[in-house]
Amino acid sequence: MSTNAGQVTLPFDDLNAKQLKMRKMTSNERVMLWVSRIVVWFIILLTIIPMWFVAEASFNPTNSYFSLSIIPSHPSFYNYSYLFHHTQFMLWVRNSLIVGLGIGFGQVLITAGSAFAFSRMRFWGRKYGLMTLIILQMFPNFLALPAIYIGLSKLNAINDLWSYMLVLLGGSAFNIWLLKRYFDTVPKELDEAALMDGANSWQRFTRIILPLSLPMLVVIFIFTLMGAFGEYILAGTILQTPGNYTLGLGMYGLISGQYAKNWGEFAAAALLSAIPLTVIFGLLQRFIARGLVAGSVKG
Amino acid sequence: MSTYPGNSAGVFLNGSPFKKKKTNKVAYAYMSPAILGISILSIAPILYTVYIAFTNYSAIHFLNFKWVGIQNFIALFDPHDPLESVFIPTLIWTFIWAILTTLLNYFAGLLLAVLLNNRHMKEAAVYRAILIIPWAVPSLISILAWQGLLNHDYGQINALLHVFGIPRIDWLGSPFWARFACIMVNLWAGFPYMMTVCLGALQAVPQEIYESASIDGASRWQSMRYITVPEVWKITLPLVIPSFAFNFNNFNAVYLLTGGGPPRPTNPFAGYTDILASAAYKMTLTFDKYDWAAAISIVLFVIVGFLTWVNMKYTRAFEEVD
Repeated sequence: MSTNAGQVTLPFDDLNAKQLKMRKMTSNERVMLWVSRIVVWFIILLTIIPMWFVAEASFNPTNSYFSLSIIPSHPSFYNYSYLFHHTQFMLWVRNSLIVGLGIGFGQVLITAGSAFAFSRMRFWGRKYGLMTLIILQMFPNFLALPAIYIGLSKLNAINDLWSYMLVLLGGSAFNIWLLKRYFDTVPKELDEAALMDGANSWQRFTRIILPLSLPMLVVIFIFTLMGAFGEYILAGTILQTPGNYTLGLGMYGLISGQYAKNWGEFAAAALLSAIPLTVIFGLLQRFIARGLVAGSVKG
Repeated sequence: MSTYPGNSAGVFLNGSPFKKKKTNKVAYAYMSPAILGISILSIAPILYTVYIAFTNYSAIHFLNFKWVGIQNFIALFDPHDPLESVFIPTLIWTFIWAILTTLLNYFAGLLLAVLLNNRHMKEAAVYRAILIIPWAVPSLISILAWQGLLNHDYGQINALLHVFGIPRIDWLGSPFWARFACIMVNLWAGFPYMMTVCLGALQAVPQEIYESASIDGASRWQSMRYITVPEVWKITLPLVIPSFAFNFNNFNAVYLLTGGGPPRPTNPFAGYTDILASAAYKMTLTFDKYDWAAAISIVLFVIVGFLTWVNMKYTRAFEEVD
């Protein structure tokens, strides 16, 4: 254990301390490191195997997938070409992108306005309003399916991509809370300085708070986008003709329809749609991790 | 209201703007899109659902449904009512499912976070990037894919087990294995989120605490036990609770894998893996029993709302300091 805590440190001592930090690992630490590595490798293997199986199936034209093979014996793009020529895959992707990007931007705008009010302003309902809304929204909106369905039918808005987007767009109190906590970490001194310069609330909101909170805005955008790609219950209720299908609905049809016959095409579609999303997510993951924790640490 | 543009200039004239007690009506303008959206798309459907729960709105009474009071809620708990045999076993399984899956995902995530948070492990970032993938893949796609992988006759998981000499398992057809499969698939899909949360929390623990502990002669194990675990728990708890509530209603994880099956011999409404959310969904779409579905939804809402409220009080996460 280091015991020189109270001593006056000379530059030379500092150098020694640095060398100490970079010292070779003790044998104990080395064992720990290798045990950790082996456990991690094992978990990585378990994580990757199912994904590899799906990838393998997508390049396997025979669709007889009980034959376990690491690499298909006659790899081909048959499943991919089938997907593009005999299904409406591109249309599903387009619909999902419209919905996902639309509600992603919409959600960020709606959330940011409210979070700004909760973080920087005083008003009646501030103290308990957000908590009440969060509890209310523990009620997933798909449980109100009959209510939503009957309501949209009366408005003649069934089977319409826009009404589907609208249903998904409702503000999220949890996102408001996350973003509010993030806004709270932006120093109030910046606001005060802007106030001195005569900035109004809109200017403080758009020029100070929003640019400084970009990581959290990105987190909310990505979460909303991913949510749209994963949503299927409301999509299945509202969107009824294949021309309006989102990616999820189309793929659900592929695997649950004529099941064994379409496994290869399903695998190809899964790979094609999962890879771009996974890459975007991977690139932004640093923001996401930072944003999540920043949101939960009490300032 | 102040006549100055944007109102805050008026606040400025009164001196220190943040100590002011006067309420700021501009706040409502900033919140109006969210308030509008939440009122129309969250609150209105909930109120309508509450209304339906007190009626006999179903396929038989589609046009002439009427008010029946709390009859639906009595039926949920009355041992002589057919609805009770659907509700009680499904309620128990929903709790088992939500608790097991949340705890397993959390501890798997925590374990990996601790292993990866080793400063000697130079390549940890690579491992993390690989392990994050199941989270990044939309659950709709990955869970449907699992349905194919776990197929009894053709699935590659059974083929893999065959290589090790293990006989085929009826993953989606037997009550026990179907439940096991739901929890395992959700572990595969859910641990990366918990890992990310825990890694963030581990890195948020101030390094000085460890340094002073090591000066005081604390061992590696002691700093783990008395610093790391409590600190990480404190930071992650506000995220674990929503995760529990989410799993309680994690429709996708169950329904897209098993469809709620295998079916129970006693009733057609809820299978062995059906959670309350998927049972309510089936009652709405397949059986047109809007009244039962609405009543179950209300019960779900009360349970999750209560748990969340208790935990929010406990963690004080959503509390406003004024």
